Amino acid sequence: MKLPGSGREDLGLRRRIMVFGVAVGLGLFVLLGRIWYLQIQKGEEFSAKSSGNFIKELRVPADRGMILDRRGVRLVDNRPSWDVYVTPAFCGDCEEVLGRLAAYLDLDAEERTRLDESVRKARGLQRFQPLLVRLDLSRDQLDVIEANRDSLPGVDVISAPHRDYLYGSLAAHMIGYLGEVSPEEMEKARERGLQFVLGDYVGKTGVERRFESYLRGRDGMQRVVTDARGQRIPQLEGLIPKGERFIPSVPGNNVVLSIDARLQEAVEEIFDVPAGAVVVMEVNTGYVLAIVSKPGFDPNRMTGRISREELRAISEDPLRPMLFRPLQSHYHPGSVFKVIASLAAFEHGFAGEVHCGGGYTLGRRRWRCHKESGHGWVTPEEALQVSCDTWYYAAADKIGIDALADMSRRFGLGATTGLDLGWEVPGIVPSVEYYEKNVRGGYMRGFALNSVIGQGDSNVTPLQMAVVYSAIANGGTIYRPQVVRRIERPEGYVVQEFLPEAKRTIDVPRAHLDRVRKGLEMVVEVPGGTAYAYRIPGRRTAGKTGTAQVVRIGTIRQKAEEMEFFTRDHAWFAAYGPVEEPEVAVVVLNEHGGSGSRNAAPYAMKILERYFQILEQDRAGPPSPEKAGPVTPPARTRPWSEGGALGG
Amino acid sequence: MNLGSSISARTVWRRAPWGLLVVALLLSGVGILNLASASQAAHAPVWLSQLVWLGIAFGVALLLLPMDYERLYQLAWPFWILVVLLLLAVEFRGDVAMGAQRWLVLGPVRLQPSELAKLSVILVLARLFEEDGEKPGGYGLFDLWKPLLVVGIPAGLTLIQPDLGTAMLILAVAGTLILVAKVRTSALAVLGAGGVAAGVFGWLFVLREYQKRRVLAFLDPEADILGSGYHANQSMIAVGSGQWAGKGWGQGTQTQLSFLPEQHTDFVFSVFAEEWGFRGSVLLLAGFATICFLGLKIATQARDRHGAFLAVGAVALIFWHALVNIGMVTGLLPVVGVTLPFMSYGRSSGLTTVLAVGILANVGARRRTH
Repeated sequence: MKLPGSGREDLGLRRRIMVFGVAVGLGLFVLLGRIWYLQIQKGEEFSAKSSGNFIKELRVPADRGMILDRRGVRLVDNRPSWDVYVTPAFCGDCEEVLGRLAAYLDLDAEERTRLDESVRKARGLQRFQPLLVRLDLSRDQLDVIEANRDSLPGVDVISAPHRDYLYGSLAAHMIGYLGEVSPEEMEKARERGLQFVLGDYVGKTGVERRFESYLRGRDGMQRVVTDARGQRIPQLEGLIPKGERFIPSVPGNNVVLSIDARLQEAVEEIFDVPAGAVVVMEVNTGYVLAIVSKPGFDPNRMTGRISREELRAISEDPLRPMLFRPLQSHYHPGSVFKVIASLAAFEHGFAGEVHCGGGYTLGRRRWRCHKESGHGWVTPEEALQVSCDTWYYAAADKIGIDALADMSRRFGLGATTGLDLGWEVPGIVPSVEYYEKNVRGGYMRGFALNSVIGQGDSNVTPLQMAVVYSAIANGGTIYRPQVVRRIERPEGYVVQEFLPEAKRTIDVPRAHLDRVRKGLEMVVEVPGGTAYAYRIPGRRTAGKTGTAQVVRIGTIRQKAEEMEFFTRDHAWFAAYGPVEEPEVAVVVLNEHGGSGSRNAAPYAMKILERYFQILEQDRAGPPSPEKAGPVTPPARTRPWSEGGALGG
Repeated sequence: MNLGSSISARTVWRRAPWGLLVVALLLSGVGILNLASASQAAHAPVWLSQLVWLGIAFGVALLLLPMDYERLYQLAWPFWILVVLLLLAVEFRGDVAMGAQRWLVLGPVRLQPSELAKLSVILVLARLFEEDGEKPGGYGLFDLWKPLLVVGIPAGLTLIQPDLGTAMLILAVAGTLILVAKVRTSALAVLGAGGVAAGVFGWLFVLREYQKRRVLAFLDPEADILGSGYHANQSMIAVGSGQWAGKGWGQGTQTQLSFLPEQHTDFVFSVFAEEWGFRGSVLLLAGFATICFLGLKIATQARDRHGAFLAVGAVALIFWHALVNIGMVTGLLPVVGVTLPFMSYGRSSGLTTVLAVGILANVGARRRTH
């Protein structure tokens, strides 16, 4: 056997071993360099990545501001809703996890299939997007899930403040509801400096929408430690510096309405018709005390709790429940328009008596009065009291349609009122110009006779009529109607106050107004008045009935009961009171209700009566909360909403 | 030729390379400590079984010290044949774990013959180079048929298991031995070209889809962070976030929160680097360097060519394992499934490491003295 170290060959072997030694040294040196690069050079970067691995940021949604009535009664607030999500990237054997979840939550087969599908379809980063399994767990379901946490990897139960409309459908159109934010809304919100995340709820209609930026608070954030499977590890929370674990959310501001919940409730109860609108407005401020649109809806259901079928039923309902009738639908005003006609007539010197023989002849046509036997000699006041059409035909024939249009516009007809709660229709004020533009053959003299009794092409919204009758009651000031009195911080101090806003005055002589008011008083308070039967004992009020024909004038009048619902007349009543010092105006529109006298006046007078009762209660009883200063909502008991989110 | 038998057992104990053994034991200790940290996340006390197993292995290795390594000369071929048979058996009867047939179950023993293949190749090559003696001018291409066959058969059988990492390791260790035995430049050129051709052929026809994905992921780990690149990426985050001082034993978030894959086996170094930082990593590398250099010193002082090549083979085994493993967990090399000597959990790998140390000690105890 040859010995190494005993010759030149051996020196060669030793040299080659040493070359290998150098290679070993080089190799280890390269590793050292690499480790130095990772740990020292890039150490901080990787440290941040490592933190990013185990720190999960949970949004702590801000409590949305409450909506209160004028006295501080809570109409809308929030309660925790426990929502279950599953994150495909973290649930491992998702099918099995979903199976267990389905059993705990009684998911039906359809929901199950939908979930399985979404989990299967999630790819790439989508797998880290939590998928909604079920909204609003019951307490029992929550307990079951909490107890089985360990067998439900990737399942999160998140408490989200859920909008709670405490009075259900009360004032639903005005208050509005929430819905998931749409991409377009997110875009718009960004321009206004509001941040939304897809899936956020945002006001879709009414006050919820108009006052979104006030109601919405600022979301907070909770940072928790999770392992690679997304399971939260509370013991290791110390890995996150104390100050960075929780950024509290800032709750939104409360909106205090001008609505009186008691009156609103009473109106909705009194006004039990299939379709229609009621507006109760303070004549000297423009504040709306009650505003009703029938049929209504439950915003609790609309806010993310409604099935496709229910939604379809609503959208196919011929009565259109989502329509906010006081401002989003216009109607022929019928005889409630006559106050404007009277003022226009007075202004053009038409203020004398007219003989009513049951109608008025112009050319070869005869315009009928609603009383076929005629009213005999009628003064302007009596014309209002008994709603004599003939007096107005004569007036219109004399002053022309543009005089009517001018007075209408001064009262704000033909334009939106500026309530600013979503879209509003302006109505139509027909004039010579209007007919020249829109009707073949252009203007004809007879059109004025249709307009003067609120038919033809005249169209108004109930809210516009409330503004009109308020102006007549308050001496001629047009107020912008408002439903919100002020915005308050949750602690109670006022952020913004919405003061009454007088837009203009109608600018008519006091004497003219007084004659009209006298006529309106006679409607209610003097025998023969169209609403005399419904007067309130002990209170003097004023008002005007209106029966707006839906089908063409000239058709033989039938009894309402004999007609198809959608061809029946609209019943109007517009009133204010007390006569001595008017405070409040009430406008009732009973859609296809029939006669103004029989089917609208009774509701309006009952509403007025209720208003006076509430007024007396407040004066007799202890000072109302409003007078005692801003309302601080009572501390709420929220047994399990602290922290805002429950990890998983 | 039996010179070793003249040395008494007492002399063997006195002359044993105790420095090398102490460093090896220290590294094993660090490895067990490190496994104990990794075990916390897995809730499995693997460190305990590693402790027992390495203890037994080291004990046996020391007890065998008086037995001259010359026995390995006779054992080389039978052992090699046995290993090849076992590899064939795995191919047809093996247990499939993680998509690869690597394990052979013989009653209560689970064997990973590919681990033994590395040793058998070292033993046979050391014997061949002893037999051939120093060739003036080195091995020509045709002289190499025997060594290439000795290496190629077990390496090929390992590759088709498929176990790319071990196959490459066998080639690297054998390549080191063959280069140290000296190869002619012309032969080297031909072999290099052949290697490239084999690589292309292997990529096209031998490598499985997941192996290719891993290699591709290595080339661009950011491209598919959640797929194949996930392991490499998480490992680099673990190592890098250790920074200078480390997060402390049992405090590594990547490890304890399970972001790091295969914490006990392939990615133990990442656990260590995360928790002990650059300071610890340098010491660990120093430990490996010490073992390698002491081992190579033993090789240069070996009694005969047989001992010299055994020692070089043992060092090559430890070195290539360490280089490939650390290179792979730090993102320098593709993730191919190679363990880190002394640190990774596993009986086969632990046994191989201790046998390598035992061979070094055995050769070292019988070194020339002058």
